[in-house]
Amino acid sequence: MRKVMRVVNRAQCIGCYSCMYACSRTYFHIATTKLAALRVKNYAGVEGAFSIRICIGCTHPDCAAACPTEALTIREGGGVIFHEEKCIHCYKCVEACTLNAMQWDPIAREPLVCHQCGICAEYCPNDVLALVEVEDDREAHND
Amino acid sequence: MINRILKIDLTKKKAEVYSDEKLYEDFLGGTGVATKLLYEQHIEKIDPLSPESPIILSIGPLNGIYPIATKTIAMFKSPLTGNLGESHAGGRLFMSMYDANLSAIVITGKLDMPSYIAIENEEVRFVPANSIWGQSASATERILRSAEKGIGKRSIIRIGPAGENLSLMANVAVDTGRHFGRLGLGAVMGSKNLKAIVISGNYRHKMENFAEFNKTYNEIFWTAVKSPAMKKYHNLGTPQNVLPLNKINSLPTRNFSQGFFEGAEFLSGENLAKNYLAQQIACANCPVGCIHLGTLREAFEDETHFKTLKIPYDYEPIYAMGTNLSINNPNALFKLLNTVEKAGWDVMETGITLSWATEAFEKGLIGTNQTEGLILNFGDAETYQKVLGFMKENKNEFFSDLNKGSAYCAEKYGGKEFAINFGKNGSPGYITGRDAFLGFLMGVRHSHLDSAGYSIDEKIISGDLNADPAEEIDMLINEEEWRFILNSLTICLFARKIYTEDLVLRALKSAGINKTSEDLKNIARKIHALKYKIKIDNGFDLNNLNFPEKLFNVQTGRGKMDKATVQEMIKTYTNRIKSLVETHAQ
Repeated sequence: MRKVMRVVNRAQCIGCYSCMYACSRTYFHIATTKLAALRVKNYAGVEGAFSIRICIGCTHPDCAAACPTEALTIREGGGVIFHEEKCIHCYKCVEACTLNAMQWDPIAREPLVCHQCGICAEYCPNDVLALVEVEDDREAHND
Repeated sequence: MINRILKIDLTKKKAEVYSDEKLYEDFLGGTGVATKLLYEQHIEKIDPLSPESPIILSIGPLNGIYPIATKTIAMFKSPLTGNLGESHAGGRLFMSMYDANLSAIVITGKLDMPSYIAIENEEVRFVPANSIWGQSASATERILRSAEKGIGKRSIIRIGPAGENLSLMANVAVDTGRHFGRLGLGAVMGSKNLKAIVISGNYRHKMENFAEFNKTYNEIFWTAVKSPAMKKYHNLGTPQNVLPLNKINSLPTRNFSQGFFEGAEFLSGENLAKNYLAQQIACANCPVGCIHLGTLREAFEDETHFKTLKIPYDYEPIYAMGTNLSINNPNALFKLLNTVEKAGWDVMETGITLSWATEAFEKGLIGTNQTEGLILNFGDAETYQKVLGFMKENKNEFFSDLNKGSAYCAEKYGGKEFAINFGKNGSPGYITGRDAFLGFLMGVRHSHLDSAGYSIDEKIISGDLNADPAEEIDMLINEEEWRFILNSLTICLFARKIYTEDLVLRALKSAGINKTSEDLKNIARKIHALKYKIKIDNGFDLNNLNFPEKLFNVQTGRGKMDKATVQEMIKTYTNRIKSLVETHAQ
């Protein structure tokens, strides 16, 4: 068993961005939504419709496979580990993630890699996100 | 903290940023800084709808940093009242300004054709957009959200047709379900050919003292999430007030004729949550999520096709277009709110103007020759829809006049005694007693949020407080001045019980700003005095203030008001304001 992130109650999202603030605050000590390794997207004209894109900790991550320099390596338990010194800023990892979960820091020109730590879920006031135990990548996609 | 002000000249299509450390040292930010900036514009010499007329957007030192510091302050010269204009909005605007590293934006001038502006950090683009002129406030957001990619989370503020047509009660819609609602900012934007502003940024503000900041952040966040008071704002939202106010005879009904609405149950927060609530949403960086979206499901064609709309609802719109017009059907109310939202009117001024018109029609001051044959009756939602339609197209002189608000209409057609406005601004929804009204009258923006006098009335009604005119005035002034601080930071007032003075001082300290309790008091007094100086310079006559006559004949929550006592209180309050302005306005 391993613990990875899941969107468990998407429709309960209120769009407060507390998750993104928590992630940026924890890893960058900055009050912003933009350095978060996940994204709450809202759709034009659909009041209150949010889609949450978060790394689900794949065991065979497309992002790592797409990286030409092994700057992303497979993390035990799912997801990837980022080796900054190897990154050539090619953006291929972001393009490879169909979920659009891999976020990008446009200033450092580097991916923002999820640590599967669950801090975002901890700050979610409405139980939208959770760090859940799974065996298979395909499990626990509730919403 | 940020002290960068973006000045935009729409006529020259030029923008520049400057810093002013002392301004922020002296006035904190938010409403304090905006007041000083407005004062320097000398609006007493300016027509509110002329190119010179300024629009000021302002955030404070806690915005973008701490939870529920979610408001942006707009200041301008109100075309509705011809005096100090100030309105506050939530949404994402504060966040986008913070991300753009801008603490204030001052806009003057006039664009040569209908346009919108896109602000990305300090870069400003002026984009001609004839095609979005005429679009509803809601459509404009949809269109610009796909047209403008932005460089971070975008905030989109825009006007509807009401603002374009210079309706003096036009609002500015902010993101989803939030507004600079009051005092006619929409007309000021319209007069500048400015349909919308899209703001985004990508600055990163490193926290100097991260450990201290993080500690304070967590204290606020978890208090908010666990507080039962905040939970109420999430669960039922502000409509939680409908039934309690009705119970104490304080819910304005049929143009403030009485405080009991027989249909209150239908419009109660409980009924709306149970049968109409689609979902709650939040402003950025607020875990509370108080914005309630109701469902309006309507059949069309052959009753087998349906459309479903999400309509934001809150207490004040429910009072203004519901109880005070005697509309008890939530569907009918939502339809009216949707019409108002799309056109881009201030829902409160619209409601008060319609309720004045209905009573004026009853009393024969206006007739079917003015209304194009429409018969105005309280409770007749379908006719009110038609009135709104005629207002939107300025059908005739009378419907054009309705666009100028209740004070203007009463001056022209009569019925001043039952035009329920204060300082020419349509009344908020409380008949609790004299302190609510005194707050509306003497508050700098004639808003229930200035000093919340209804809350003092409620405490007197429940027996928690004894009536005492002098003390009541003290409480109103103290509350208003404390709120100047919260509105300078800029905190959502729903979190006022969390943001105590002690927490505010600590939150400022961990954001690198050292102030004492005494400092805050002095800043608040200075803000109060300066705002009143602006009001007096613009013709607000302190020697000629009163409540609309009708209110003296109504049973308020505290019973009938004694006119002589009220007038004595107004005099005392006025004298305190006069001496405040003399000693503190600078």
